[in-house]
Amino acid sequence: MNKTLLQLAGLFSSLSLSAFGGGKVVLPSMHQASVGEYHWMTNQEFVDLFSISMAAPGPSMMVVTLVGLKACLPYGTAIAILGALVATLAMFVPSSILVYFAGNWWDHWKESPWRHSVMNAILPISTGLILAATWIIAKTSIHSLPTAIMGVVALILMLFTKINPVLMMGAAGLISWVFLR
Amino acid sequence: MSGEAPHPDREEVAGSSPSTSLRVKVSLLEIASLFCFIGLTSFGGGITAYIRRMVVTQKRWLSDEEFMPGLGLVQLLPGANVVGLSVYIGNHLKGPVGSLVALASLLAPPFVSTCALGFLYFHAGHTADAHAVLAGVTAAACGLMASMVFEAGGEAIKGAFDVVLILITFALVRFAHLHVPTVILIVAPLAIWWHRPRPPKVNPKLKTPDTGGSTPS
Repeated sequence: MNKTLLQLAGLFSSLSLSAFGGGKVVLPSMHQASVGEYHWMTNQEFVDLFSISMAAPGPSMMVVTLVGLKACLPYGTAIAILGALVATLAMFVPSSILVYFAGNWWDHWKESPWRHSVMNAILPISTGLILAATWIIAKTSIHSLPTAIMGVVALILMLFTKINPVLMMGAAGLISWVFLR
Repeated sequence: MSGEAPHPDREEVAGSSPSTSLRVKVSLLEIASLFCFIGLTSFGGGITAYIRRMVVTQKRWLSDEEFMPGLGLVQLLPGANVVGLSVYIGNHLKGPVGSLVALASLLAPPFVSTCALGFLYFHAGHTADAHAVLAGVTAAACGLMASMVFEAGGEAIKGAFDVVLILITFALVRFAHLHVPTVILIVAPLAIWWHRPRPPKVNPKLKTPDTGGSTPS
C-alpha cells in the first residue's frame, strides 16, 4: 500500500512538471505507467476512466484522481480515496508552486525575445504529445463502425459548433445505450 | 471588513474604464466561491477567456494589465492553464493564502464528484448497460481529443519544421515508448533552437543575441 502511494506521488509529481501545454500532454506516460509498468488497471479501464473524467466537471486532468482511486482500490475504500488524494495533489501542487514562485521573476523575463521562442517551441511538442494521447484513446475506443461514426461526429461537432463537450459526451452515451445495448 | 458591498456590475462605474491596479478588497470567501464555481463549470476549451470575463470584466478584481501577464506565464509553464491562473489570481488578491484558497476551491468539488463517478464505475461498470453507455462516451472523448490535436496544431504550425517537430515528438512516444519528460528533454532544445530570436533579414550565421542578463538600470 505504501509502495503504491509512493509510486503515485512520484509518477504524478514528475508528470506535473512536464505538462507543458496542459495536462492532456502527459496522458501517454500516465497510460504507460498505470497499464504497462505498475499494472494498476487494464487498457480498457484506463480509457473508460479517462473518458469518465472528460465527461465530469473539473480541470482537464482529473483522470489522475481516478488513476489514484483505482491503484489503491485493492486496499479498501478509505485507502482508495487516500490514493486519489495523493495522486491529485501530486499532479496539481508542484506545477502550482512553480507558477507561484515564477511570478516573482516573470516581470524581468516577459519582455525577453526568448519568451516567444520557448512558446513557439512548446506548441509543436504539445501537439505531438496530444496526438500520441489521441492515438492511445482511439485504439481502444474506436472498435466498430458505430463507434467510429460517433467519434467522427464528435470531432466535427467540436471543430465546427460551440456545443458544450459535456453535453455532447452525455448525448453520445445515451445514443450508444439506446442503439448498442 | 466586508461591510461595504462593491457593486461594479454596471458598466461605467465611477467614470473611468478599467484602470490599472485598482486595489479592490476581496475576501477569501469570495475567492473560494468564484473558484468553486469555475471548477464545477470548467471543461477544457475556452476557460481562460471565461475566467478573464469573470475576474476582469465582471468583478473587476484585476485589470487587463494585471491579468494578461499571468495568462502569458501559465501558458509557458507546465500544468493546466485554469490551475495556474487560480494560483496567480489568488496570489494577486490575497497573497499565498489567496493562492491556496483558490487552488483548493478549484479542485475540491471536482475531486468529490470524480471520486463518486469512479466508485460508480467500479461497482456497475461491468454491466451490459454500462458497456453500452461507455462505448459512446469513450468514442466521443476520442473525437474531443482529436479536435484538440487540430486546435493545438493550428496554433503550432508556422512552418514545415513545426510539422517535423510534431512527428518527432509523436514517434518518440508512440514507437520508442519514451516517457513524456524524456521526450521533452530531447525535443525542446531542438525546438527552442529552431525558434530562437532572430534579427530580421540578417545573415543566419550570426550568433543569436544573448538577452539573458538584460537588467533594467
